[in-house]
Amino acid sequence: MNEKINNVISKVVTETLEKLAFMFASPYELEDLTEEDPDTGVRVSFNGPFSGTLGMKVSGEVLSEIAVNMLGVDNEDEVTPDDKNDALKETINIICGNILPAIGGKEAVFNIDAPMIILEGEDMKGGDGEKLVSDVKLSLDEGRCDLVLFVNGEIPEVMEEIE
Amino acid sequence: MALNILVVDDSAVMRKMIIKTMGMCGIPLGEIKQAANGREGLEELGKNWIDIVILDINMPIMNGEEMIDEMQQNPEIKDIPVIVISTEGSSTRIERLKEKGARFIKKPFTPEIIRDKIYEVTGVGEGDE
Repeated sequence: MNEKINNVISKVVTETLEKLAFMFASPYELEDLTEEDPDTGVRVSFNGPFSGTLGMKVSGEVLSEIAVNMLGVDNEDEVTPDDKNDALKETINIICGNILPAIGGKEAVFNIDAPMIILEGEDMKGGDGEKLVSDVKLSLDEGRCDLVLFVNGEIPEVMEEIE
Repeated sequence: MALNILVVDDSAVMRKMIIKTMGMCGIPLGEIKQAANGREGLEELGKNWIDIVILDINMPIMNGEEMIDEMQQNPEIKDIPVIVISTEGSSTRIERLKEKGARFIKKPFTPEIIRDKIYEVTGVGEGDE
């Protein structure tokens, strides 16, 4: 795994969840081990100076909290399954949009595809020829958030400092 | 002065979030219209008096940059201020949008950033605090 890229992803996800859904993430520690593994996932492919796939899986409670907070409603009953999927897609879209310039440089132009929901039981995997370069696990009050980054070809250098 | 605002984003959750955020930060809101892509956005502009367009970039059917290009071809709507709220991180693309007259906010955003940008383009709120 690439430690620099792990750090970039951790920082971007932490900042995104905080600003987007008022949720606070911290690095996952073994003692945080919960019985429930993340089961709801989404992935997004991108291409540009390098191409690849970013995947994210969250526990059910984390997903509900993201959707509830993004929509600003009082309880989960007001959130539909479509709202949850939409919230998850938007979240990974924002994360990917912030990770790529941090790795590839601010002037690099990337095209990000529409995010796709990962079906229950399906693993987070990259496309043909893509190799795993980063695997990040974060803890939140509501559960866990796992991210993986697959890249096709050379592992890129981290070029930008995250503000 | 209450502002009529058009929010164009393919994510219904993001549209709701932007509208909620604008309400939270004290912007005087008039009518709020929504569209899921640039084509629908242009249709709304044809039917309603809109003071500001809040626009995503990556959308199906017609993306945000294409919508800005279409707006600039139409004298009746070319001067409506456009604020792009997007995940776009490329300074190359952001500069291109700014050259077309759009202001830019990167997701994720805070309520204050949206408020300040709307005040900046409309002058509404100046001297109110």
